[in-house]
Amino acid sequence: MKNWRIIPYGTFSAFENMAMDEAVFRGNQQGTSPPTLRFYDWQPSAVSLGYFQVLESEINVSYCRENNIDIVRRPTGGKAVFHEDDLTYSLVSRENIPPFSPGILGTYLIISRCILEGIADLGVRAEMAEESRSSGGEGPASHCFSFPSRYELLVDGRKICGSAQTRSNGAFLQHGSLLLRFDPFKALSVVTQNVASEEQASLLKKSVTSLSDHIAVQADPALIAGILKASFEKILQVQFVEGSLTEAEEAVRDELLQNKYHTDIWNRSGSTRMNNY
Amino acid sequence: MMVFPDDLLYSREHTWARVDGNLVTIGITDYGQDKLGEILNLDLPEVDTYVEQDEPFGIIESAKTVTELISPVSGDVVRVNDDITDDVGIINSDPYDTGWLIVVEMKDASELDNLLDSTEYNDYVLGEEGLD
Repeated sequence: MKNWRIIPYGTFSAFENMAMDEAVFRGNQQGTSPPTLRFYDWQPSAVSLGYFQVLESEINVSYCRENNIDIVRRPTGGKAVFHEDDLTYSLVSRENIPPFSPGILGTYLIISRCILEGIADLGVRAEMAEESRSSGGEGPASHCFSFPSRYELLVDGRKICGSAQTRSNGAFLQHGSLLLRFDPFKALSVVTQNVASEEQASLLKKSVTSLSDHIAVQADPALIAGILKASFEKILQVQFVEGSLTEAEEAVRDELLQNKYHTDIWNRSGSTRMNNY
Repeated sequence: MMVFPDDLLYSREHTWARVDGNLVTIGITDYGQDKLGEILNLDLPEVDTYVEQDEPFGIIESAKTVTELISPVSGDVVRVNDDITDDVGIINSDPYDTGWLIVVEMKDASELDNLLDSTEYNDYVLGEEGLD
């Protein structure tokens, strides 16, 4: 069985999380880093924007500032995700290393199977969305959990795990957010310009669920990360060996932190980006 | 059924090149747009930007991923298809005509030797499909 790397569950700032993931992604693009899985939390709480989202029109910046919520732009696509009561994963690999292939949806399918298997071990029976829904959901358009995409996980028709991806130079980075608990008022407050109404919260709650809706025990992120590690190993047919960033990856992480993820130009820019940074 | 017109050249990164003298129109192949799925956002370079063969010239987001657009040739961008930035879905529906992306003034015609003709590209795609 192949050995891949897992970086142990940890809690980092939004900027550190994105810089670490991109450092590993770049290493995979260059063929110098192994396929790597990471589960992590965010401290302080944060909202992550999809690569193409426009910050000012899609995020309530003043609410985030008043409530000590960091704002970071992801290298991956998709919509805004509020990271407070979720467990985030990142998986990075070359796109042609089995069981992966250059097909984009195939990668989603495999990773969704890993999560599905893991939460089934917790007693939560999820199913995969068959088709993407890019409109007609029950929440604001800028919110990730308003609309399921194909192969994203639903429990009783409500989204529990959202995911997003980027690809470059034969490698991919996939992010996902598994909801442990869900507060629709807070989730709405980071993406709407006004105070969320009862009606809006009620509507969003109809399309979103979390582990705590289905399991009685407190959803402990470190424990769940361990269960998911086992399900990733089972589905991917690899063994995850604990490791840390290499010196080269740490250097890239530090440079990305300083020159990209801590900068307003990256986190605020709408259509103008730091291409080829 | 994927279409790969005979009058175009193709890169392994799923962009096409229509050569007219030293002007090269560039777009995404039918296979490329199909692989990406519903295209949602696009960042293209401005006129006068220098792009290099096999290097990124733009970023594209589909319903499932964000990825770089790789240039099949080197040269200065002389035209950008502004019409599609308001309706990027045209790339899905008409990748070889109204869905073109940029026109580049090619610097070195010998770079075209690195590209594939439609038959070679079709074989390349079949090989990639076999991996799925």
